[in-house]
Amino acid sequence: MLSIDLSKRFGDFELEVSVTCPYPVTAIFGPSGSGKTSLLNLIAGLVRPDCGRVLLDDRTLVDVSLKEFVPPEERRVGYVFQDALLFPHLTVQGNLSFADGLRKRESRISFDQIVTLLELSPLLDRLPGRLSGGEKQRVALGRALVSSPDLLLLDEPLSSLDIGLQSRILPYLRHVRDSLKIPMIYVSHSVAEILQLTGQVIILKEGKVLASGDFFDLASKPDVLPLLGDFGFENVLKVDVVENRPAEGVSLVDYRGQGLKIPHADLTVGGSLFLGIRANDVILAHSQPEGLSIRNSLQGIVADIQDVNGMKMVSVDVGKRLLVEVTSEAVHELGLSRGQTVYCLIKAHSIRVT
Amino acid sequence: MTPSELDILWLSTQVGICCVVLSLPFAMVLGWLLARFDFPGKSLVDGLCHLPLVLPPVVTGYVLLTVFGRRGPVGSILESTLGIHLAFDWKGAVLASAVVGFPLMLRAIRQGIEAVDPRLEGAARTLGATPLRAILGVTLRLAAPAIGIGCLLSFARSLGEFGATVTFASNIPGETQTLPLAIFSFLNQPDGDGAAARLVIVSVVLSFITILASNRLGSSLRTDR
Repeated sequence: MLSIDLSKRFGDFELEVSVTCPYPVTAIFGPSGSGKTSLLNLIAGLVRPDCGRVLLDDRTLVDVSLKEFVPPEERRVGYVFQDALLFPHLTVQGNLSFADGLRKRESRISFDQIVTLLELSPLLDRLPGRLSGGEKQRVALGRALVSSPDLLLLDEPLSSLDIGLQSRILPYLRHVRDSLKIPMIYVSHSVAEILQLTGQVIILKEGKVLASGDFFDLASKPDVLPLLGDFGFENVLKVDVVENRPAEGVSLVDYRGQGLKIPHADLTVGGSLFLGIRANDVILAHSQPEGLSIRNSLQGIVADIQDVNGMKMVSVDVGKRLLVEVTSEAVHELGLSRGQTVYCLIKAHSIRVT
Repeated sequence: MTPSELDILWLSTQVGICCVVLSLPFAMVLGWLLARFDFPGKSLVDGLCHLPLVLPPVVTGYVLLTVFGRRGPVGSILESTLGIHLAFDWKGAVLASAVVGFPLMLRAIRQGIEAVDPRLEGAARTLGATPLRAILGVTLRLAAPAIGIGCLLSFARSLGEFGATVTFASNIPGETQTLPLAIFSFLNQPDGDGAAARLVIVSVVLSFITILASNRLGSSLRTDR
């Protein structure tokens, strides 16, 4: 576990964080300018705190009161930067093996294992200038892994990539989490991204920790919800693939016993995947509707209703929480209240397969 | 070319190479400091380093003579402790051209270092590199073409240096008489036109080679990023 208790002043901005990050993955979430990257730089040792300490398991990384400061090269903390920051003069192979010979102990993961896991072998001879954004991030991830870190810091590794590429990189991150078992601190401002890796989040705002813990517990808090709403909240559901029906242009998936139809994709039957559904793409009905073109409806129970920026955010328990954004008028007309059974209607084409 | 003309060429090359070797460590450290840090008096340091670029070379030579001459504050110490005297010596020609060429070298190196993302050093640190290794292996390696250009500029400036050299090191054949000084001397001799012309051609060829080499380095600087 990583425990942080520090403060650092940057001009007018003060970062003051006291929090613990449980394994395997903790996400740090917050609007831009909330101090996410600064916090990572403090954990990595690239910036020194004004006061406080950072402990990784039983190791002290920095403790100002004890005048202890472990320099970044001795922290064994890997860092994947937002814009990859590959060494432009070295090939992919050179970038990956940069940490070779600098490491003071045997790597827990072999070079070949990393190359295989991240599918880097076709890229080894190329210079970073000739890589696409997604390839750069994979190399950056590989380079950090070769240094055999005890903790991996990821600073919005997907933010420079388009949606399609993002969903191609995420499985690699899940591989790192599940097969290499390296703990991660994952910084992002995309809830959809975070939820595909972890439920544990720390929410930062203006340099302070607004809340930390399980995402769905936090999401219902009145001071947290508006933050999520700012980004056009997207729900993430993990579903199992049941059947591909190319003739109808759909694929059938199962979400906790309820079927959903999504735009056809050649999916592996029996495998699982993540669906992204935006809170304002969901329609609520108090009974199973008839005579509608919408095919998807998830039955659930209203768990909570919150005010968010003049709209109502209805939290529906469909097995997990599904957040639905509706107008106050709609809440009033439907007579929505806690404990009521509702149907969440979702157009197949507003579902994003990630 | 006559053997004595070849000697002139050889002396000029030696002075040029020594000038680069003498300036390089100072230019790298100063270039790095100016590119990466803000410190009090930074613009003063920057201004002082650039002064030889705008001062008349004769003035630079005069200042060198005052400071590094036998009775100058630094020159007298050098002579009494190390037995080195610079004025009216080939080493003086090296110092004169090093000072005059320094701003050119410093500028090239500083800009080269400024063009390297300082966060790359941080990335190298998180991968286990010590600060020195991060600077040498990443920043200076990436700035290498710019450092090369700085060296060529300083070398070329040394080949062309006249005013400061003639003032500080004088025009002593075989000792401090570099190409431009020799050309000037030959032109003042009644039968020196042929020798002067040959040395002029050598000068042009050398300068041209330097420009080609520096262009080449410049293009590698662009493709590297």
